[in-house]
Amino acid sequence: MIKELKPLSSLAALLGLLTASGLVLAVYYNPWHAFASLGFIEREVNEGWLVQAYHATGTTLLFGLAYLFLFRAMLARGYRAPDDLAWALGVKLLAVLLLAGWLGFVLTGGAAAYWALVRAANGALALSGAAGAIGMWFFGGPAGEGTLARLALFHAVLGVAALAVLAAAYRRLKPKMSPGVCLDHLARFAVLALIFSVLAFFFPHLGQPAVNALPGDPLTLPLGTALPWYLLPLAGIADALPGAWGGIIGVVGAVAVLAALPWLDGSGPEAVRSRWYGVLTWVWGLDVIALGITATARDCPQASLLLALFALWYFFHFLVLVPLVTAMEAK
Amino acid sequence: MAETAATEASGPGTESRRGFLTIFTGAAATVAAGSIVWPLLDALNPDAPSEAQARMIVNVADIPENTAKTVQWDGLPIYIRKLTAQQIAAAQAVVTGTLPDPADFAARVNPAYPDYVVVVGLNTGITCALEGNSPADPRGDYDGWLCPCDGSQYDVLGRVRSGPATRNLVIPRFTFINAAQIRLG
Repeated sequence: MIKELKPLSSLAALLGLLTASGLVLAVYYNPWHAFASLGFIEREVNEGWLVQAYHATGTTLLFGLAYLFLFRAMLARGYRAPDDLAWALGVKLLAVLLLAGWLGFVLTGGAAAYWALVRAANGALALSGAAGAIGMWFFGGPAGEGTLARLALFHAVLGVAALAVLAAAYRRLKPKMSPGVCLDHLARFAVLALIFSVLAFFFPHLGQPAVNALPGDPLTLPLGTALPWYLLPLAGIADALPGAWGGIIGVVGAVAVLAALPWLDGSGPEAVRSRWYGVLTWVWGLDVIALGITATARDCPQASLLLALFALWYFFHFLVLVPLVTAMEAK
Repeated sequence: MAETAATEASGPGTESRRGFLTIFTGAAATVAAGSIVWPLLDALNPDAPSEAQARMIVNVADIPENTAKTVQWDGLPIYIRKLTAQQIAAAQAVVTGTLPDPADFAARVNPAYPDYVVVVGLNTGITCALEGNSPADPRGDYDGWLCPCDGSQYDVLGRVRSGPATRNLVIPRFTFINAAQIRLG
């Protein structure tokens, strides 16, 4: 169990840092003048630039670790019993973090953030029936002056929800504390702090679209609007599917197949080593990276074809290849 | 790993070495945690412009005699008045024991700069901005300030002389930097 616990302590530390820095940012953040208030935080507030860097770099590290740990659990097939609940909590945490991360990015009020919000709000409001009503409730109408105020609240609520999911995972795994474990965590935090410092001080805008340094303008759609790196694979899947419902089904389905992995794996609990499963999982990992890279290059003529291929492979992997390969092994 | 082996070996000096490493690690962790937390705490302190506003410097050299200047500081109107030699002599001659709120000249004015009076320009009865900064304003019977709301009257040093108010005008915290400048706060 101690192996599963190691990511949890790092994730908890990063979530704690995000909560603390988020509370400080919330003191000065003004959703009615989002971009200007971020500039105020960067330039006027004592150490504001550093608190902002805590939040941005903490997010990058949190998503990096979450992706890496989920990928490792996939490779090691850690989603099967008795760890199936821990896996479900991990996927749930990722889902909460993805939504919170999108909201946090939108809150910056930059050009890329503004247009991401407009696209999402217009898409949600174009839906009919219950989905449209939920979209209307969530965004409160088309993206405008007051939208960010409610999204800031949802962002904070989701932050608390992420903490709650993490607490549930802790309860599930029941960590044992001992001097050795404490030292282990201390060493882990030291390495994490080192990586964090390098990222925060040398790459403070890592993975953020450059046009987000411009304020959002309803009359100007700049080139190069994209989402931050941790949302790109999902954005690629959403872009690959057509129609108002396509994006939503793509995003929900991409997370749902992850959650369904314990049932898609047809092998028994005794099967541990599997070369083909490992190779396929690595290929799937490359496919996710390719989705992200292609999503930033939407202007290329081949992009839509590539996105469709990569998105197809993403679902093909989970819905066909994994059941097939694991069922063949089980024989 | 030779270090670990040496630390765990028994023999003279290993205890102190282990203790040193424990204290060193603890100290480093404390410093690291402190330096992570400090920006989060310091960010809630007032920023530099607010700090400067809270310790405002006012030029008093441009105030004509027998006139007061108003500055907004800490949400309060501060009246800075330059007295004439005649007003100083008259104020010093007042028998303080007869006043509603006895205070002598030295208690109201910095002895090194006796011609400047610095007060919060709000009536001490009902809160109301006082009149009398300009020689053309109504100043009451004592040549100081008059409250337009309840009619309380103050002398040139801001001591209450008549009216519903019973306390002298509040003197804000301030210091003379030199003969031409004072710092509030």
